[in-house]
Amino acid sequence: MDSLHAIGFYVSSGVSVIGALGVALIPARGLRGGALAVAGVGIAGIYLSLGAGFAAAVALICYLACATLVAGPRYRSVEGVIRPLWRQLGAVAAGALLVLLGYSAFRGDFARAKAVSEAFGASDVGRLLFAHDAFATEAIAALVLASLAGAAAAWRARERAR
Amino acid sequence: MSASLVTVFFVAAGLAAVGVFAAVWRRDLASALAGIPLIFGGAGVAFVGVARFAAAGGPHLLGHELAVLLGIASVALLALGLGIAGREGAR
Repeated sequence: MDSLHAIGFYVSSGVSVIGALGVALIPARGLRGGALAVAGVGIAGIYLSLGAGFAAAVALICYLACATLVAGPRYRSVEGVIRPLWRQLGAVAAGALLVLLGYSAFRGDFARAKAVSEAFGASDVGRLLFAHDAFATEAIAALVLASLAGAAAAWRARERAR
Repeated sequence: MSASLVTVFFVAAGLAAVGVFAAVWRRDLASALAGIPLIFGGAGVAFVGVARFAAAGGPHLLGHELAVLLGIASVALLALGLGIAGREGAR
């Protein structure tokens, strides 16, 4: 990886982690959606610096859509019934997960290899998606269909019950 | 200046852990859903990193493909969760 890509990777990493921390800590919906958009821009930048241009474009669109959904003022707040102690234990477990993943990455014995992919790769990824791994693509398409249909049905049922 | 697979894994671990933290820390369950794209983003970064630094053969695009699928799946799951949460209004 040359210096330009490495600089892009580190800058994008910082942007994505800062955005992610904003998603976790900011209380207001609009700002939280903005933080998710910042995280998405950072993640797309990471993909781009790693030579995955098509994945970066798709990720940017998807994360901006997620940010729009999160920032939207119209969804209802659902208060959880979990006690604060369990939430604190979950937060500690998230920290432990970070330590575990970092340790496994640091101790892992990876082969040193030259990076090979620099192209945008839309046609190659599309060929993989629709020819080689069509079953996985269909599974995700079914998930998207079920999600949109389920979300619309749940939304309409609540509207009708009101 | 350079970045290696270990660096990519550190960033991926950070994103995934912050996503898990966001999901468990939020009292509002609809807000906790915002952690899902971060967890999937961390996984996607790890997959793309593995594809980038794969040792043998030509370009490995499986990681790119999985990153694309994870991005789409995160939008779908977030839409489903917020749809189930329902619309704000007088009850």
